[in-house]
Amino acid sequence: MTHVAPDGQTIAPAEAAGAATPVLEARGVYKVFVTRGRGGLRAMTALRRVDLQVRRGEFLTLIGPSGCGKSTVLNMFAGLTAPTDGTVLHEGVPIRGVNTRGGYVTQDDNLLPWRTTLGNVQIALELKGVRRDERHERAMAYLAAVGLRGFEHHYPHELSGGMRKRVSIVRTLVDTSVNVILMDEPFGPLDAQTRLVLQDELLRLWEGSGRTIVFVTHDLVEAIALSDRIAIFTGAPGTIKDVREVPIPRPRDVFHIHDAHGFAEIYDAIWAGLRAELTTEPMHDG
Amino acid sequence: MSLPRETAHELRLREQAGRQARRQARAGGVLLGAARGGVVAALLAVWAFASGRWVDRQFVADPLSVLRALGSLVGSGRLWPDLAQTLVEVLSGYAIGATLGVAVALVVAFEATLQRVLRPFLIAFYSIPKIALAPLFVMWFGLGLTPKVILAATFVFFVVFMNMVTGLYQVSPHLVNAVRVMGATRRDIVWKVALPSSTPYLMTGLRIAIPEALIGAVIGEFMSATVGLGYLVNEAAQQFNTAVTLAAIVALLVVVVAMDAGISALEGRLLCWRSSHADLASLARR
Repeated sequence: MTHVAPDGQTIAPAEAAGAATPVLEARGVYKVFVTRGRGGLRAMTALRRVDLQVRRGEFLTLIGPSGCGKSTVLNMFAGLTAPTDGTVLHEGVPIRGVNTRGGYVTQDDNLLPWRTTLGNVQIALELKGVRRDERHERAMAYLAAVGLRGFEHHYPHELSGGMRKRVSIVRTLVDTSVNVILMDEPFGPLDAQTRLVLQDELLRLWEGSGRTIVFVTHDLVEAIALSDRIAIFTGAPGTIKDVREVPIPRPRDVFHIHDAHGFAEIYDAIWAGLRAELTTEPMHDG
Repeated sequence: MSLPRETAHELRLREQAGRQARRQARAGGVLLGAARGGVVAALLAVWAFASGRWVDRQFVADPLSVLRALGSLVGSGRLWPDLAQTLVEVLSGYAIGATLGVAVALVVAFEATLQRVLRPFLIAFYSIPKIALAPLFVMWFGLGLTPKVILAATFVFFVVFMNMVTGLYQVSPHLVNAVRVMGATRRDIVWKVALPSSTPYLMTGLRIAIPEALIGAVIGEFMSATVGLGYLVNEAAQQFNTAVTLAAIVALLVVVVAMDAGISALEGRLLCWRSSHADLASLARR
């Protein structure tokens, strides 16, 4: 199945690796962080035997108490952190070094402040050697898709938080060589209304694209509204205690997700699992 | 989020606000010019009054004779070879020192091992009073242009280097990781993140380095020279001709002001992406 993106480009369908191979996989992953404290160097286990298979084209959310290592898992999929033990794979191949076939949207928008909206959206294409006119055309199409026409020559400090977040998401989606999007609490810093609007926009841009999203959030309602599956982490040292399917059909209405059939059941089921972990939540964030 | 059509009333409001702001800016400019003119007039008045009354005219010539001396230096063409010589020394020393400052800062920031090895030597070199090097440079490089250029470059180098290193250490690791995931090479990181990000620090360094370049050149000319503004200052002072001495200092002042204006223009172009600085004066007003 191919999907036509806002810029008219088709996103590469599942590769020959076969639909059975998970797009991303963590096998027996452990992570130990060494921190420099007052008493000298101190080693702390952040992740404990994490096994996770991300299916091709799914929207998978990692949820759990803060400091449980969810973001560390994303960093491993992005190739920014290596596991202390175990293997992390992309398309069945172990990830070594930075994984440039994965897009990463972080909590901070991390836009380049010296580039305009248009310049920021084009950066990934520029780094991957896409021709100038093609870059421009694709960037403009995506900006139009999220209602940012007319703001292409604004600098990040001239945009609202919601607009900056749109730019940050679009600059990742515009790169069609990326089939996996990692999102680390992307809507965390936004106000409640903007958050809903952006969730809705994200689903519209993603649905049918064939791309895989791994999303991290603290917000259970957000997780249910967006995801196909939700992986629940234990408190630190984190491991996955449960993975649940979200039985709500697509396309979804994020504005009325509470009314969706099956919402209450899945909410209660996950909340029960999550709550047990929150009571032992450590005071620090890792 | 496309811009909605503006009503006639809104248009009027906007035009009024624009006109008022422009009028205020013009009036502010006139007022500022008048205030600055007033300061200059007051300084000249005090100087004119003091010369011959509080201080011996022999040691501090009055403004009018300085102006006359300057006029005859310009009129006779006596000033131009001196000015040209000093300009060449200052500008080439500035360019060489600044380029090396940026280059060494990049090496130090991007090569951790080299940085650790070189650090004590850089600090040792930095702690040498650079004036003490002047006689050596004259001995090594002769009486011509070279020792002055090298002296100016040495003065400029450390100022630019120190500011640039500080700027490079402030580069956000999150921004660097964001572009790494998009496939940025080391070269991309230097050109597309590190350099633009540290430009504010670089501009500060370049600004502080302007008088440093002049100090280097003038000290060199004091040591041994037959031409140059520093030579002119020295020669006139030895003949107790304070009018010419002060006239030559005015010429040096003009060089600094012109270079500073150049840096300001460059800064305006390169740093247009920054939000305006905090206006503490109006923020802290009661």
